[in-house]
Amino acid sequence: MKNGFSVFLAAFIALGLSWCGFVLGPAKQLGAEKQAAVLNSSDVYPIQRTGDAALGLQVYRANGCAACHTEQVRQDGVVCDVVLMKPGKNPAVVSNLVSTLKLTGLTKDEADAASDQITAAGGSVETHIIPVGTDIARGWGLRQSVAADFLYDTPVQLGSLRAGPDLANVGARLPDFNWQLVHLYAPSAVAKNSAMPPFRYLFELRKIGDTPSPDAVQFPEGFAPPAGCEVVPTPEAKQLAAYLLSLKADAPLYEAPFTPVTTKP
Amino acid sequence: MNDEARSNCPAGTGGEPEATRSAVPMWIVVVALLLLFLGGVYFDHHSGWFNARVYSPYVSAEELELYQPKSGAAAAAAQGKKVYETVCGICHNPDGMGKPNQAPPLAGSEWVTTAGFHRLAQIPLLGLSGNIQVAGKDWNLNMAPMGAALSDADLAAVLTYIRTSWGNKAGAVTADDVKAIRAVVGGHPAISAAQLNSIPE
Repeated sequence: MKNGFSVFLAAFIALGLSWCGFVLGPAKQLGAEKQAAVLNSSDVYPIQRTGDAALGLQVYRANGCAACHTEQVRQDGVVCDVVLMKPGKNPAVVSNLVSTLKLTGLTKDEADAASDQITAAGGSVETHIIPVGTDIARGWGLRQSVAADFLYDTPVQLGSLRAGPDLANVGARLPDFNWQLVHLYAPSAVAKNSAMPPFRYLFELRKIGDTPSPDAVQFPEGFAPPAGCEVVPTPEAKQLAAYLLSLKADAPLYEAPFTPVTTKP
Repeated sequence: MNDEARSNCPAGTGGEPEATRSAVPMWIVVVALLLLFLGGVYFDHHSGWFNARVYSPYVSAEELELYQPKSGAAAAAAQGKKVYETVCGICHNPDGMGKPNQAPPLAGSEWVTTAGFHRLAQIPLLGLSGNIQVAGKDWNLNMAPMGAALSDADLAAVLTYIRTSWGNKAGAVTADDVKAIRAVVGGHPAISAAQLNSIPE
């Protein structure tokens, strides 16, 4: 072959460069990713799944959930709110400042300027960091998804199509185990007009024997099985529901900082 | 094509076009360099230098650092809790209730919830010896100067934490306060309850 060595060299360089770009680069960038501290807390994130939740990832995968659901929340930006904590020794001046200054939806620089002004007047303030974006506005997550969220997922179930909602934070959004089971058995029972197919083969519809099963799914009014029957989840259904409850991307991290909204009891 | 025309053709050209060499036009070089420069500027602003922790909307590690909650009561409280659990909580218990024969409670202790913090701050800085009455009970144990090795900020955070946790409602302590107290007490030996009472609150 004419110029055989040159052709080989060109192909080698082309493939070698793409290998460096697609394999070596990401491995160098993210290969050392490990469990990290949650901001302002002694907790670590993420926590490795155990038991049913760990097995549930494979049920999620086997049933093709990732074909219609993503596990990645996007964030368009971040805004800062300045919140007055204590009015301090000059309450009149501080409250006047608070009512005249713009304190919500600021950039970091504007927030720093505002908090400097209030601090100079004697008040004490906190700057709250609030992620914004369409996914976050829908309530799908508190912050964007980052590599750490997927540390213990094998394989990662990112998904690329949203026929259904994003599930990155579903365990925090819908933390009821029974709700998840009802939703898998009869999606329309809890989500009207749901396009999700029912996963009834993960359940067993059977006659109640001597004693009702303690695992039987509790249905809302109008969706209960016929009298004398009960719907019992198979181990796969329980594993899948446990996995869904384990999907909680709600920890503020260094790479995705935000101020958690604490609801007062 | 007639014979006459064919005979006019120069010999040796078989009809195949042949590439010739010519210089690259200067404008292409200029445009390429300009694009390279603009690409470099864009890369500089948006790559985050391939830092694994930099995600959009942050464009650099420096910008991400700016958005870390560093100040504010929440950050100080978290730091105070962390220091308490690693240093103080071993004897005083993570819930502040103390442990029998090890350490008196801090929750509801009149030594912790004083209006000022000058007496309280001496205890971790110098240690404590001899009898002390805490919440109606007598304790006679020795405490080492556990806070002497802590930084001013850490000690202030942990003092603020014990003064504001478990139902205690006393004022915060700043790093500057701790610095001032530390400068005054110097290398005093372990302090006693009677000596503490002689210090203004």
